Amino acid sequence: MFSLNVLFSGGLIAYAAGAAAGLAGFRAPRAARVIAFSLALAGALLEIVAAALAIFAPATSTWSLPFGGALFSWTVRLNPLSGFFNLTLGVLAAAASIYSFGYVRHMEGKRNVGSLAFFYNLLLLSLTLVFTAANAFFFLVAWEVMALSAYCLISFEHEKAPTRRAGMVFLIMSHAGTGLLLIGFLLLARASGSLEFSSFHQLASTMSPREQAAVFLLFFAGFGVKAGVIPLHVWLPAAHPVAPSNISGLMSGIVIKTGIYGMALVFFDFFGLPPVWTGMVVLAVGVVSALLGVLYALVEHDLKRLLAYHSIENIGIILIGFGAALVFRALGKPELAALAFIAGLYHTLNHAIFKCLLFFGAGSVLHSARTRNMEEMGGLIRRMPVTAACFLLGAIAISGLPPLNGFVSEWLTYQALLAGFGSSQDLTRVAFPIAGALLSLTAALAAACFVKAFGISFLALPRSDQAAEAHEAPFSMQLGMGILAACCVALGLGATWFLKVFDPITGAALGVRMSARLAAGNGFALAAGTAHGGTVSTVGIAAVLVLLSALPAMLWFVWGRSARRVQGPTWDCGLPGLTAANEYTATGFSKPFRMVFAALYRPKREIQHEYEVSPYYPTAVRFESEIEAAFEKRFYKPFQEALMGMARRMRSVQAGSIHAYLAYIFVALILLLLFGARG
Amino acid sequence: MEFLNNPEFGEKLVTLMAALALVIQIAMVGQRSLIMNIRMYGTQSFLLGAIAGAIAHFNGAWHIYIAAFLTITVKAILLPILLERLADRIGIRHEIEPILGTPVSIVISGALTFIAYIVGESFYHPGPGAALGRNTLAVAISIFLIGFFMMINRRKALTQVLALLSLENGVFLAAICLTYGMPLIVEVGVFFDVLVAALVLGILVYRIRENFESMDVSKMRRLRG
Repeated sequence: MFSLNVLFSGGLIAYAAGAAAGLAGFRAPRAARVIAFSLALAGALLEIVAAALAIFAPATSTWSLPFGGALFSWTVRLNPLSGFFNLTLGVLAAAASIYSFGYVRHMEGKRNVGSLAFFYNLLLLSLTLVFTAANAFFFLVAWEVMALSAYCLISFEHEKAPTRRAGMVFLIMSHAGTGLLLIGFLLLARASGSLEFSSFHQLASTMSPREQAAVFLLFFAGFGVKAGVIPLHVWLPAAHPVAPSNISGLMSGIVIKTGIYGMALVFFDFFGLPPVWTGMVVLAVGVVSALLGVLYALVEHDLKRLLAYHSIENIGIILIGFGAALVFRALGKPELAALAFIAGLYHTLNHAIFKCLLFFGAGSVLHSARTRNMEEMGGLIRRMPVTAACFLLGAIAISGLPPLNGFVSEWLTYQALLAGFGSSQDLTRVAFPIAGALLSLTAALAAACFVKAFGISFLALPRSDQAAEAHEAPFSMQLGMGILAACCVALGLGATWFLKVFDPITGAALGVRMSARLAAGNGFALAAGTAHGGTVSTVGIAAVLVLLSALPAMLWFVWGRSARRVQGPTWDCGLPGLTAANEYTATGFSKPFRMVFAALYRPKREIQHEYEVSPYYPTAVRFESEIEAAFEKRFYKPFQEALMGMARRMRSVQAGSIHAYLAYIFVALILLLLFGARG
Repeated sequence: MEFLNNPEFGEKLVTLMAALALVIQIAMVGQRSLIMNIRMYGTQSFLLGAIAGAIAHFNGAWHIYIAAFLTITVKAILLPILLERLADRIGIRHEIEPILGTPVSIVISGALTFIAYIVGESFYHPGPGAALGRNTLAVAISIFLIGFFMMINRRKALTQVLALLSLENGVFLAAICLTYGMPLIVEVGVFFDVLVAALVLGILVYRIRENFESMDVSKMRRLRG
């Protein structure tokens, strides 16, 4: 236990020192970059070890930082759940710190690298504390530091108007969410008489149904804002793309997971036996987020925005797992609940890794091709082979294709949903097959989306001069991506071994240990652990894939060596001279989806022909196509207008006339006097 | 000279002077001449000082003598002189332009006095030996409310300052008749406060006039957000 605490504190100190180095290095960007990101890397490695120890530690380690006062304590708790999230954070932080060495380098002399390094380390520090704080007040402090440092990082390139706007939207929504959390914690604290998380354990279930509902909804909405669930997601596709890419990776990878951590904490620690409807709400929100997230991603041409929408989708998938777990728990099926919970948590880790990887890939492209617009990329696989390979791995993983990690967690989610149909006899069970069907639709659409993202960006001919002049990213960036890509493979192939990590977590939350039941065939195959569940072996699939890809080579070796070989350009159908204009565009690729889901997108299209002689010989054609931002327009806009209208009406009170102000005071005074006289 | 030590006589005397102060306050509402207003304020302050002196005498509280002395020197003599000088310098000597006409203002003042009596009644819980307050508290609240009303009703910043000062007189009266004098340090503080406030407001008024070419605060509407 001692070494665990020392390691954990050492990581925190390394982050703090990194932040200090960033501050000190305002004038010396090179030193600031090297020292601050090295310290961040050291901190991340220490935290990884500490987190691993915390997961398997025999007892929860709870202690207080030497600050605080009479009202609250800076209690830190290292239990398996926080250990798991800290592990996720540590892996991402390590990869991001390595990646940042190269990525931030070109900013030297142009931007304030010191401030970036400062806020980067501060973000890591506050994230670590968010995952380990065991006092509501301390938690909220860490939460706010995290939100503010994230805001500063999002607005790092603040000379651009969209960046400032995105940062502001993030700040407003984040604070609204924190307000809800504050009320939720106050409700719990009133019931327990303490702000310590240990006093909240299974507390919510002893409250009256109305209070339970209030606590649940407050926390769900408050954490949902940070997690980016629909309809509270609008900040996410705006904020993630505008941040520097190493930050985008962390934002999508781990910052939004703080919302997931909070939900796990509330649903599986603060609640004992939750009401069934809470699970249904989470499940429904998860399904909607997953489906709408991927649908909006499909029609996006900005690579980083596309990835941001996929974060919404994956948060939805995680919530499907959590929702199912809640329902199962309420129905008294702890094994199924554990399966669904594991699926959600595993997807949390997996999404963190492959989304961070994809953002890093997008960052490398942005770094060398200087564009986020996919229509201006193309052909990058020849110029950036390592980046392309890593991006492809990430794309396969996020599409939920075997044998990578995304497949494993989505498969576990499916298994939980499929088993759910047999879990009860009432009508609630109908929700599971519906959720399962929509989840498979989501996964298929995600695959389509990444065919587009990878195909348009990396294959074929360059669509712009920048893309043609692109170069491979520096080694540190390749290494950062490579680590994450290796994690994707390892977590896919070694899933059955990794699942042991969840034993202490589900053991504490639900009293069930699942890893032995989820492994089959000496750990080389995954089992669902349910009555009629399936079995799948990612290792086997990988082996078959390797063999199959070797097959052509073998066939060629046996028969083909004597055959005549002709080399020619691909896809030109006999007509030489293909240019980038002949290529499939991202818009064209997503056209079928725009048509099928026209009711959702409400696409608008405008075509203008300019001609001099006859309309049949246009000199120029202008084409504009846009889809409706449904949530912004139908949900937030009316709300915003109502708010502004109210503010305008209130403003007439503020007349600017001293007499009016005096009269307000006078009337208030007389009313108060009369009120006092009455009593 | 037996009656000079009779507390009943003291109470009547205090009530009489308080009533006079109220009459002066209402007269200030109706009075349009600025100079007359300043002088009425001085008279009212003198009455307050006299009340404080009477209370000091009949209750044998020596430190209220100091309050009485300060009231008379600062509020009854010093402030009126300062204000008259300021009025001279700005160059207005008459015509306050109230928003509401005199008759309506007087009626409102009456209504405010009525409210003050209702309120004063319920706040008044006489302890042993505290026979003074009954009417005096109501009068103090009336002076306060009417002073406030004057502030709202007048356009020029200088006349508002005057209204604020008379409002403060109401506060002073309430304090002195309820507590038979606050601790001396508090009262000295209050005096100093009023003096500084009057000086600052005087400068401010002068500046407003320089910048806006008018003291009419209703022309300062641009100052809103």
